Amino acid sequence: MIQARANPDAAELELRGITKRFGHVTALSDVDLVGYPGKVLAVVGDNGAGKSTLIKIVSGVHRPDGGEIRISGNQSVFRNAADARQAGVATVFQDLALVEVLDVSTNMFLGQFPRRGWFVDRKAMDAESRAFLDELKVTVDSVKTEIGMLSGGQRQIIAVARAMRTGAQIVLLDEPTAALGVRETAHAVGLIRELRDRGNTVICVSHDMNFVFDVADRVQVMRLGQVAGVRDIRDTSKEEVIGLITGSLSDRPIEEHL
Amino acid sequence: MSRSGTARPRTGGRTSGIGSDRRSAGQALHRYTQQVGLVAVIVVLGVAFTAINSAFASPDNLIDLFRAVTLYFIVACASTLVLVGGGLDFSIGAVYALGAVVAGLLMIGGLPWPLAVLGGIGVGVLAGTINAAVSVYLHVPPLIATLGMFFVAGGIAVVLTGGTDVYGFPDDFITIGAGDLGGIPFLIFYAIGIGILFHVVLETTVFGYDIRAIGGNRAAAAANGIRVARMDIALYAISGGVAALAGIIGAARLSTASPAAGGASLTFQVITAVIIGGTSLFGGIGTIAGSALGAILFAEISNGLQVINVNPLYQNIFIGVILVAAVAIDQYRRRRRYRAAS
Repeated sequence: MIQARANPDAAELELRGITKRFGHVTALSDVDLVGYPGKVLAVVGDNGAGKSTLIKIVSGVHRPDGGEIRISGNQSVFRNAADARQAGVATVFQDLALVEVLDVSTNMFLGQFPRRGWFVDRKAMDAESRAFLDELKVTVDSVKTEIGMLSGGQRQIIAVARAMRTGAQIVLLDEPTAALGVRETAHAVGLIRELRDRGNTVICVSHDMNFVFDVADRVQVMRLGQVAGVRDIRDTSKEEVIGLITGSLSDRPIEEHL
Repeated sequence: MSRSGTARPRTGGRTSGIGSDRRSAGQALHRYTQQVGLVAVIVVLGVAFTAINSAFASPDNLIDLFRAVTLYFIVACASTLVLVGGGLDFSIGAVYALGAVVAGLLMIGGLPWPLAVLGGIGVGVLAGTINAAVSVYLHVPPLIATLGMFFVAGGIAVVLTGGTDVYGFPDDFITIGAGDLGGIPFLIFYAIGIGILFHVVLETTVFGYDIRAIGGNRAAAAANGIRVARMDIALYAISGGVAALAGIIGAARLSTASPAAGGASLTFQVITAVIIGGTSLFGGIGTIAGSALGAILFAEISNGLQVINVNPLYQNIFIGVILVAAVAIDQYRRRRRYRAAS
């Protein structure tokens, strides 16, 4: 909403009391999360802490069993990924959701091809892809290169670029630097900063502490499906965050539901 | 956590600095190597057959050969779309017969032939729609859904006719299947027209791009807003409608609609031709041109072996070897080409 744009302190994305169960397993229990425009929130935690489930709830892949999602203050219900997209949430999944047998520009416009009647306006699509990738300083030899021929890092960058192209206000990234080399990580970091500078609300799930302290404004630590703590990055240290992850430090008692 | 294969680090140093957005020569070549290979095989076989018996290359024999290709190729066009879209339609052989029988019975019942033809195609479209609905909404794998339809449609064709052939069609109708223009059968023109139409649909339309997307990565297509269920229904409906149309043209050509036409042999030959033509059974990859070449190779082998007096019983052995070889070569190239993938 306009109000949110006018006031950068207003939350763009707000989760309240989110609970998610898979059978007898409680994956998330009473989880809050707040994302602000022009800020990067890192979500960290050990394996099984509920990070991916949380991402999948915001992106509409899973429906929560309890709690609410507010986008720019409006309560939202996502029945599927298309609903979340409609509401301005773009997600870069760990498995990227690219089509390997299709080329870069086709992937950039997947589901939103520029049209001329029944036909795909191939020229416009290639030109826009090229212009957009150049703007982001992404180097691919040709936008007609098939995704299957790119490295993991290049694919990751294309996936992020696609999320940016769709013009979503909220961008979720699941492990954006997993399996990336040093240079590619630097590039991904650059893209995330670009997103932040454009005023997007960025949420990153990551294992990589260096990456988190490099790009995040705030860090939210998940442990056993609950929030172990939220810190401003300037007021915390890696030691404290790791303590929250392992459970040696905690803002509140975390029940182990076993 | 990470799905295998999607995010491995690059291993080879593979950056040729081609700064343009044209397909590089290598890429264009890759796209068509399978086709080039097929053309080579077709030519070499043709030369060999001709060397043994020059009658193979006679215009009459070549027209025979191409006429034999046409009906298979027409069905193969639709099957190519289904396979590229990540599906599989096994029911085509039976829908071929059912479409012909329904159109034939309607015609004999006194309906003007163009309406009877539409009725037959409509039954094919309905069968295809049911295939898709069963697979999408009842979560029955396409192979099983369409195999079920194979028996149901074939069974209905037999029940409707009491197992006997249907004939006594108006001359105008027979002409659409048996007529020719300057010695070239109408059938060949239909095949060329339908081939061009399907090529354009697959390569240039939004529908065609969406087909490749759902076949290449169904989850990604869905996550990006492509309506996969609706695509499935369209693809199988087209497959059923085209199979029925081919059956009807076949009935016109023979002046007879037989419930025994098509069948499993048509299903197998069409899918084999499409796969020999480079279409992947796993979706996303394939071209109409490839399927045309696959169908031509198939017909060439069957025709050529007859012309050189080889017992036709050997034909299937050749076809089997070529099918497996074509897929093996394709898999090898694909493994070398894609890094982490497939």
